[in-house]
Amino acid sequence: MTLGELLGVTALGAVVGVDLVTVPQAMTARPLVAGFLGGWLVGSPTQGLFVGVVLELLALETLPIGAARYPDWGPPAAAAGALVAPGPDHVLPSSPWPWLLSLVLVAAAVAWIGGWAMRAERRICGAAVLRRSAQLDAGDPQVLVWLQAWGFVLDVARAASLTLLALVPGGWLAREMALLWRAPSEVAEFALLAATMGVAAAAVWRLFGRGTTFGWLLAGAGAGIAGLLL
Amino acid sequence: MRVSLRDVPGFAFTAARLFGIQSAFSYERMLGIGFGHAIEPLLRPLRGQGDGSRYHEALARESRFFNSHPYLASLAIGAAARSELEGVSGERIERLRSALCGPLGALGDRLVWAGWLPACVGLGLALATRGAGGWAVAAFLVLYNVVHVLLRIWGLRAGWMVGLRVSVALSHPVLKRGLAVVGPLAAVSVGAALPMVLGWAVRLGGPSDPTWIGLSGAAAGTLVFLGAARLVGTRLSGLVLAIAVLGAAALGGALWP
Repeated sequence: MTLGELLGVTALGAVVGVDLVTVPQAMTARPLVAGFLGGWLVGSPTQGLFVGVVLELLALETLPIGAARYPDWGPPAAAAGALVAPGPDHVLPSSPWPWLLSLVLVAAAVAWIGGWAMRAERRICGAAVLRRSAQLDAGDPQVLVWLQAWGFVLDVARAASLTLLALVPGGWLAREMALLWRAPSEVAEFALLAATMGVAAAAVWRLFGRGTTFGWLLAGAGAGIAGLLL
Repeated sequence: MRVSLRDVPGFAFTAARLFGIQSAFSYERMLGIGFGHAIEPLLRPLRGQGDGSRYHEALARESRFFNSHPYLASLAIGAAARSELEGVSGERIERLRSALCGPLGALGDRLVWAGWLPACVGLGLALATRGAGGWAVAAFLVLYNVVHVLLRIWGLRAGWMVGLRVSVALSHPVLKRGLAVVGPLAAVSVGAALPMVLGWAVRLGGPSDPTWIGLSGAAAGTLVFLGAARLVGTRLSGLVLAIAVLGAAALGGALWP
């Protein structure tokens, strides 16, 4: 990856990371979008989309509800989308599965760290709000603008740092894990699909597996399976 | 009475600021700072009244604790702004804001986070597996954001129009119909998408890659994660469990004899 690509993907990670909560919540932080855009930035949109789809399965359980701590998928998905194409094909030419497993593991870990980073950011914002409570109680509009801007800058820094974390040490770690892989690649395929499909199925079951939506879920699954077989 | 952009000074600025309502999110005030920042353009007519103290009092009140779904906070902002401009007492406006937190949060969570978002994600995933490429991503973003933007703007207008009678807006037939439709729609969408993604993924390895490995992996994972979800309930984080499974696999793959 060139320096230009590194900076471009970091900027993309910052944009999609900020989108998650701060502005404008247009869902560019979803892995489906961020993975595709990360791949597209380095000239491999198809591979980026693939890793985005796989990460989206894990993200299906994420509902960005208020004060809850939820993983931040945008920055690591953008990084994984950019990293996936230049994988160590020279070492593992026969199958992409170990490389994908390593990348998804790193992206998932960074997304989890992202949730904690957001929590820390909210505490920092809270401290800034407390320090300015006298101005807030006086109805000063400038302090509102300042706090909003401060929150935005903090979030940009958080998202960019997460992207760099996923790209540089994360990319190195994923590559090393893939190079160390000695088992048949089917083991990686089994584990990756077990983890991602398992999380997605459990999340979907929790959301729709009871009440009136249960029948619709079964109907959808039937349609999906029929679409596969036809 | 229909409210147009021309009728309400500051409407467009407030509408734009709605998209950043969570910028200064904190555990102390939740969306309060963003609420105050977004409503401020609508309160500007109060600056010219007397010594401007009503403007500052209103702004201080509107920046206090507020929590709801971020898209539907616009409804509360519209209602609160109208009430402030009409000279409703501060106590009643505070009661209005407090009373709206729960209903707007619950409505938005059901309508958007657990409804429209998974419905659009399911469609995006399904399109991606059918070879739509970047169009799948574009379709997801456009479809999702049409409703997202409309919901924010509608909320602001509806809140402004009804003021303190905000329950009228909350019982709008479109919202009721939307709630009835969006759950089944999302269930069908993600229900169809998951097998399609699985079929797409197992074809990744090419014709030499046996399909049964991917299918059995997905089946095993589904059973394990569903079982874990049943045993541990909502406290279980699928992400942490997935990291554990993938980490164990990576270690096993490296130590393979």
